[in-house]
Amino acid sequence: MIYTNHKIEFDESKCVGCQICYKACFVDVIRWDADKKKPVFKYVEDCEHCNYCEVKCPKGCIKVIPDFASQSFRQTFDIYSKNNKELIIRD
Amino acid sequence: MQKQEFETKRMSADILIIGGGIAGLTAAISAKEVNPDTDVLVVEKQTSGYSGKANKGGGVLQYFDLEKVTPEMFNEYHANAVGGYLANQNLLMKYVRMNNEMLDKLEEWGVNVPKKRIPTGPMTYMIGLDLDITLKMRQKATKLGVRFIDKTTISDLLTNDGKIAGAVGYSIIDGTFYVFEGKKVILCTGSQNYRVASMWSNGRGDGYHAAFRAGAKMRNPEFGNFMQLFRVNSNRECVFCENVMYDNYGQNITKNFRRFLEADISSSAVAEWYNQMAAGKGPIFIHPHESPMTDNETMMFHAWERPYGLRFWEVDFEKDQLVDKEYNGALEVVPGLVGEQSPVRVDEDMQTTIEGMYAAGDVCYDGSCAPGAVPAPPGRNRGSGILNAVFAGIVSGQEAAKTAADAVQQPIDEAKVAELKEAAYAPLFREEGIHPKEVIDKVQDIMCPVENSVYMSQHRIDVCLRKIEKVKAMVDQMKADDFHYLLTCHEAEAMVFSAEMHFRAASMRKESRGWFLREDFPRMDNENWLKWIVVENDNGEMKFSTEDVPIDDYPVKPPPMFH
Repeated sequence: MIYTNHKIEFDESKCVGCQICYKACFVDVIRWDADKKKPVFKYVEDCEHCNYCEVKCPKGCIKVIPDFASQSFRQTFDIYSKNNKELIIRD
Repeated sequence: MQKQEFETKRMSADILIIGGGIAGLTAAISAKEVNPDTDVLVVEKQTSGYSGKANKGGGVLQYFDLEKVTPEMFNEYHANAVGGYLANQNLLMKYVRMNNEMLDKLEEWGVNVPKKRIPTGPMTYMIGLDLDITLKMRQKATKLGVRFIDKTTISDLLTNDGKIAGAVGYSIIDGTFYVFEGKKVILCTGSQNYRVASMWSNGRGDGYHAAFRAGAKMRNPEFGNFMQLFRVNSNRECVFCENVMYDNYGQNITKNFRRFLEADISSSAVAEWYNQMAAGKGPIFIHPHESPMTDNETMMFHAWERPYGLRFWEVDFEKDQLVDKEYNGALEVVPGLVGEQSPVRVDEDMQTTIEGMYAAGDVCYDGSCAPGAVPAPPGRNRGSGILNAVFAGIVSGQEAAKTAADAVQQPIDEAKVAELKEAAYAPLFREEGIHPKEVIDKVQDIMCPVENSVYMSQHRIDVCLRKIEKVKAMVDQMKADDFHYLLTCHEAEAMVFSAEMHFRAASMRKESRGWFLREDFPRMDNENWLKWIVVENDNGEMKFSTEDVPIDDYPVKPPPMFH
């Protein structure tokens, strides 16, 4: 399995609880804490970095940091790539 | 998780729409326009208004200027250059004919349709819709009284005596089980992209896998293997660059692959990447600055008034640039699987083989036969996904609404519901099991290589099928820790289904045609293969047969030299 190491930085102090990031996520990375009225970045490993949450946040409190090195199109000839794919961890 | 009973909620509607992307929203609005009293419910696995493919992936819309291009002209071009004489040409022309009506409707529904046009092919133009298209459509639908349930996925469809009765599913947030009664159902759950190069679609084939289990026939599953070139570092897509591909020794390998402004990459360019790599001449680069089509990547961002979309692309581009490396103006590229299997068999009214059930959008693009031997958009008509979804959404929504309000609700078999509920939640209660991502990982390993799914051969297809058999045995052992991963289990199962259906149909089709490419059968075979491959559920197993393309009923026929 390939493990991703995407990161999402969130500045909670600026968040106004509008839910746009929660609705915008199309892969269920972001859940909603109804008590705190804040997003929970629960399944960051599934992030496909469309950046919608970051782009649509009216207060600019989200930053998605994609782990590009974990991505692969799994071609047979990947070893001949100039790109350094050794960061991909597989078990 | 401890075995426990989850709450069951019941809901009913005249028309149940599964999937709230462009096709689902169009079908909902269109049904309400026919009969405002029709009760319409949209169930979406994420959030309708934000879900769907084309609103994120590109937001570009391919259309026709009907003052310059007739449906007959486009059909002729498409049959010869794209679909390889396998299209339902009447349906394709019906789509082109509705072009102006569809653009007018989008405007009427609140979507900003720019007037500026950019030619993208010999017959087509492209405009950039802003990415809030689906938000505007959801607002319009809500105003018309359409109801929405988000974050709820459909796990199975319900039928009675071959007629549609509704669907069951669960909330991915709290696991509430839902039983939906529906007099008519419209399936709008998108295509299969194997979660590789997603183009930001969450179509995982789970919708049509449920339809297959309920008895719906599939058609043309072997055309769902779209690939295009991506930059190796950022995995950013590279479009319109086939003529400027170079090997590691500086030789242009695809100089004349794009002979005219055809709309998109052909499978032969993908196969050429493979051939050069296999010959030890890789890695392969593109020289984007040698072609006006690829010289300025940001040109497309600014071409249209898209305040919403501009920011989206700028942020994406900024992040990609941090990791992309140019070597003297060259960028290393690799083909990535986009997928786009879209196999639900529908007729010209978008009616599936289950009475009362329709389908629209990517879920039935190839199943409708409208395009022929080519994957769902991007396919070879970049930007055509939006209008195709609008087209099928209008047709299915109007057809369903004609009779839905007065139709009889088929009875729900409660014993069957209980059985489906238990089956849906089974991965939650396994004490030991396989993580669904291990299954997805194995499917991706099989599907991803060019030589397996695009540039195929009998030997490689047979090897892939043997591997898929092994993965199939893992499906009943998947374990989910929560409802998020329960959905992942169901998506993984659908991917195994899609991959098997792809290889088995591809094994039958012993020729090359349109996008479909076999190394061992490189010629188009019009004697034996003017046929569509149909898949039906035979007691849980896939049963394959063929339907003859009624080529005599269509205006464009294969040239005699190929007969």
